[in-house]
Amino acid sequence: MEIDIGLHLLDHQLLDKDGRRCGNADDLAIEGGPGETPEVVAILVGPGFWGQRAGWIGKLAGWIGGGRRVRVDWSDVDKVDSAIELKRGATELGLGRGDDRLRPWIAKIPGAGR
Amino acid sequence: MSKVLGLALGILAAIGGFVDIGDLVFNVSAGATFGYELMWVIPIGVVGIIVYSEMCGRVAAVSGKAVFDAIRERVGFKAGLGALVSSEVVNLMTLAAEVGGVAIALQLLSGLPYRWLIVLAIVALLVVIWVTSFEWLERIFGYGGLCMLVFAVAAIKLGPSWTDVGKGFIPHIAGDSKLLYGYFIIGLLGAALTPYEVYFYSSGGIEDQWSPKDIGLNRANAIIGYGLGGFLSLALMVVGAALFLSRGISPEHLGTIALGAEVPLGQIGLLLALVGILFAVGGASIDTVFSGAYNLAQFCGWEWGRYRHARGAPRFALTWIVLLVLAMGIVLTGVDPVVLTEYAVIFSVVALPLTYIPILLVANDRAYMGRYGNGRLANVLGLLYLVVIVIVALSAVPLMILTNVGQN
Amino acid sequence: MRTLSSLLRREVVTESGRTLGRCYDLRGELTATTLRVTGLCVGHSAWLAHLGVRGHDSHTEIPWDDVVRIEGKRIVVRDTDSQ
Repeated sequence: MEIDIGLHLLDHQLLDKDGRRCGNADDLAIEGGPGETPEVVAILVGPGFWGQRAGWIGKLAGWIGGGRRVRVDWSDVDKVDSAIELKRGATELGLGRGDDRLRPWIAKIPGAGR
Repeated sequence: MSKVLGLALGILAAIGGFVDIGDLVFNVSAGATFGYELMWVIPIGVVGIIVYSEMCGRVAAVSGKAVFDAIRERVGFKAGLGALVSSEVVNLMTLAAEVGGVAIALQLLSGLPYRWLIVLAIVALLVVIWVTSFEWLERIFGYGGLCMLVFAVAAIKLGPSWTDVGKGFIPHIAGDSKLLYGYFIIGLLGAALTPYEVYFYSSGGIEDQWSPKDIGLNRANAIIGYGLGGFLSLALMVVGAALFLSRGISPEHLGTIALGAEVPLGQIGLLLALVGILFAVGGASIDTVFSGAYNLAQFCGWEWGRYRHARGAPRFALTWIVLLVLAMGIVLTGVDPVVLTEYAVIFSVVALPLTYIPILLVANDRAYMGRYGNGRLANVLGLLYLVVIVIVALSAVPLMILTNVGQN
Repeated sequence: MRTLSSLLRREVVTESGRTLGRCYDLRGELTATTLRVTGLCVGHSAWLAHLGVRGHDSHTEIPWDDVVRIEGKRIVVRDTDSQ
């Protein structure tokens, strides 16, 4: 299927195999240059990639956001729809860590899991 | 529950929730300063929020994307980040103003010290949001806000000159104090076109899993709910004009505004007014804090939603908690909530194009919207309001400065 | 390895020096297992075109095979008659 790569992938929501939201596609890694057949090999996720999207403002926002960088191999992509659906769980892929790390604390407050 | 009953209840909640502190401050002040001359601005504001909400709601129903998802995808990271930062700043200012309003209403009702009531208000909001299901939150604050109808009764009881009121609906420019008149036009439109309400509405739609078949229902809810809610704004302006203008009172405190119900209707009027203000502004603060959390979570790609519960969406939950605490900090500095409201409304208007333009683009994008993209009417109105919004955004800060924030 | 963001917004010029516009997206072929890059989307008002304001017909699509080299802030492509 022919697609516009940026339009269909860049900045789109990532969903893991359970439908959990686990980041946006902050950038894409492409291997191969002129004279070859380039391929999108990975989705780059995390505030650490914001600097290359928006200059110094992006860098600042990325720093505030924790600067994390996660590389999701293209082989982990299940489907490209309105969101990008992945084959494995978020935690397995190293995504959604902010939520995972915060969860035990928030869960201590009664009524957190109703 | 039948669809009609559901719609009716939704409309009631929308009416009760229509008025927030910006509407209270600007509509009554406008009446107190210019009489009925600014009545014509209110319908323009009401139609504007209907147009904006309808587009965002339709985008949510068809594309499954809430406002900041759509903005970031469509106009890119850099512009999206700019829109996010400006929205969050304005959002926090608005939240602080609303919280201050809640504290003042509590003070007028209870007589307890203001500063303690700020903390109480925040704690109460935190607990209520944490504990109460979303349906009940909407009901409690929506129906409680219906007490605001006392101002409609008061407006009629004050016996305004209905010919003068009618004349006020014809758009015109004031004879003198043109700058101040312009400032009030900006403020009234800003108070009506509240962006947080739109973010909240569209994110709520995603949570309720709207699909294209829900478009009709939600269009009806928006048109009827906001339309009827607009009558409350009209009532506030009439009260301001009929009661305060002739006496030369400038309503700079919520207590003064509540007088608008007490003078014609006595103690019961005052009580209903204060309860109405408490619930309307309290409900608005809930919508505002959630919209702040929705925007940040959507932009960053976090899990979000009231239905996910805190355990399912920890960063989202922490965001609204932190926003409430920050708002508390702002109000505790002693800033006058009414002054803060004016600044919040003006800055909200300045930032409005940054989110309105992307949504207008997305609503037109056939790739996102399929056959539900903007039709001719939606685009005529959408573009018309784009012009209005840009003009208002550009003139807001100059007018604010030139009129010394409406003090002239 | 490059990033998509590093390719977007670059000026696209022909070997003979003619400016074709800016690269505002890449065209790709999506299969069950891969996503291959097949071309560049180039336009003069690239940003507006990307926003869909003037529609996709105001852009040119350049097949990746015509890309000669990527240097500095530009992408250099072969001159062809269709341009």
